[in-house]
Amino acid sequence: MVDLARKILFYDKLRFLITVGGVGFAVMLVLVQTGLFLGLMGNASATIDHIDADVWVAAKNTPNIDFARTFSDTLVNRVRAIDGVERADNLIVWFMRMALPTGAQEGIEVYAMERFGKWNLPWTISEGNVADLRRGRYLMLDDSATGRCGVFHIGDYREFVGRRVKITGRSRDALSFTTTPIAFMDLRLCQSLTPELDGQTSYIVVKLRPGVDAHRIAAEIRDRLPYVDVHTRDEWSYMSRNYWITNTGLGLNLFMTIFLGCLIAVMVVAQTLYTSTMDHIKEFGTIKAIGGGNGRIYLILAKQAIIAGICGFMIGAALTLLLKPVMAKANLNLVVIGNLWALTLAGTLAFCLTAALICFRKVSKIDPAMVFRG
Amino acid sequence: MSVLQAQDVTKDFYEGAGTLSVLKGISLSIERGEIVSLEGPSGSGKTTLLSILGCILTASSGAVVVEDQKVDCESSGSLAAIRRKSIGFVFQQYNLLPALTAMENVEYALNIKGQRGETARREAERALYEVGLADKTMTLPRDLSGGQKQRVAIARALAGQSPILLVDEPTANLDSQTGQQILDLFKQLARQENRAMLIVTHDQKVSEIADRVLTIRDGRLVN
Repeated sequence: MVDLARKILFYDKLRFLITVGGVGFAVMLVLVQTGLFLGLMGNASATIDHIDADVWVAAKNTPNIDFARTFSDTLVNRVRAIDGVERADNLIVWFMRMALPTGAQEGIEVYAMERFGKWNLPWTISEGNVADLRRGRYLMLDDSATGRCGVFHIGDYREFVGRRVKITGRSRDALSFTTTPIAFMDLRLCQSLTPELDGQTSYIVVKLRPGVDAHRIAAEIRDRLPYVDVHTRDEWSYMSRNYWITNTGLGLNLFMTIFLGCLIAVMVVAQTLYTSTMDHIKEFGTIKAIGGGNGRIYLILAKQAIIAGICGFMIGAALTLLLKPVMAKANLNLVVIGNLWALTLAGTLAFCLTAALICFRKVSKIDPAMVFRG
Repeated sequence: MSVLQAQDVTKDFYEGAGTLSVLKGISLSIERGEIVSLEGPSGSGKTTLLSILGCILTASSGAVVVEDQKVDCESSGSLAAIRRKSIGFVFQQYNLLPALTAMENVEYALNIKGQRGETARREAERALYEVGLADKTMTLPRDLSGGQKQRVAIARALAGQSPILLVDEPTANLDSQTGQQILDLFKQLARQENRAMLIVTHDQKVSEIADRVLTIRDGRLVN
């Protein structure tokens, strides 16, 4: 059977390229923006999602993991006493200034606790041993710090409030939403470097015994410690992500970008199909005159929309994959997961078909008698 | 045996408050293998009559009978079905699909008529061979001369064995030599393929190949 839809579409190659280019651009816009959003959201709760803790205890009204407040570090003992708790430890999350060899200072987000190894923190270590952190004034710095803090090696020293700390390890993939580099040090060292943290902690992380209900333990901790907030892992992860979505306009920004991307795709395909329909109106009239119905022409337009959608999606997807390593160099994590690919493809096809609908009305009005007019 | 009949066909167009009567009681009959030329001045109703006989327009009153079946004017679907089954068209402007080769133009028309695959391809090849374009099957319309385009249009109308061919001004866009070749082709095909052929024209040469010449003036047949 003659594939008229494809033949017409490829007959005018320039128009076809413009169409798929427009759709490709829109697809890339949606994929990159959503991918960056997912990446940032992943960073916003990366530590919560990786630390092996079922329940988090935080100071009252702590909005997210990065903006930590403090409370007494002795409360951990009362949490440990609750039946069903396997272990509980203090965790400090604190922004500090780190002096660089150049004399400049750079902000660092420090995660400090006593038994990192027990909590799967940091979750990816490229060099060094996390157990060494307890053995002196040592520091493990994430690879992502290279961009802001310059190249560093194991054995290098950096200064915090005028005191030298030795780098004994490197982690990988420990990123925060704020993009501030993350470092890991022992809890006591962190408290000694920052007088206001003396006897204080930011969080208590709680690991439950197998089969114990996290919500039940969270409720019991709330009863025993009414002046702190208690969250399960999922609640705290959601809260930390949601803070940035609702308080920074990030959610609205994403919505607007996706909306604009979809709008561009629809406009490009609709405009191209409409002008193409108008250009081929006499041909469609001929098809009707020789016995073809509206349905046949609708199928042609729908098929053209689908071909444009698929080709445009492939171009957009390829551009997104090309951008991924470029963005990684800027410490921007572009997360494009299987569901996002599938959803974007389905959305692209749906919007292209919607655009084709605009032409259906025009086609239905074509009078086959036009073929007898000169 | 009559394959196409018009019985007291009228056609009125409504323009604002007034009515314009284009056809005023036309009756005619065409048989298989017969070539009928329909002539008349511009605005006399030739094209309107051709459109009604081709089941593209519907008559205001009267009846059109195609292969002994009275045409149901109420359903656009049944009109299209009659066009697919019984009628082949040759248009003045050829109306080929520019993105398709000569072969595909004919094959696509066959697809519309319900023929698919190898059957349609063989039939398209046969039709193009009949009109002398066996060597141009893979050529796009833009690379064909006016006469060749008209031959492709004729092949498209011939393919599928429609018993009726309705032809609109077939020589209007051709030089006299090519026009004569096309008319000779019509004459040969009408006899050879036993098709009924109605040719609307201003060209006096058409009457030389026609079995009958009908003249229409002010919406009425005058001979």
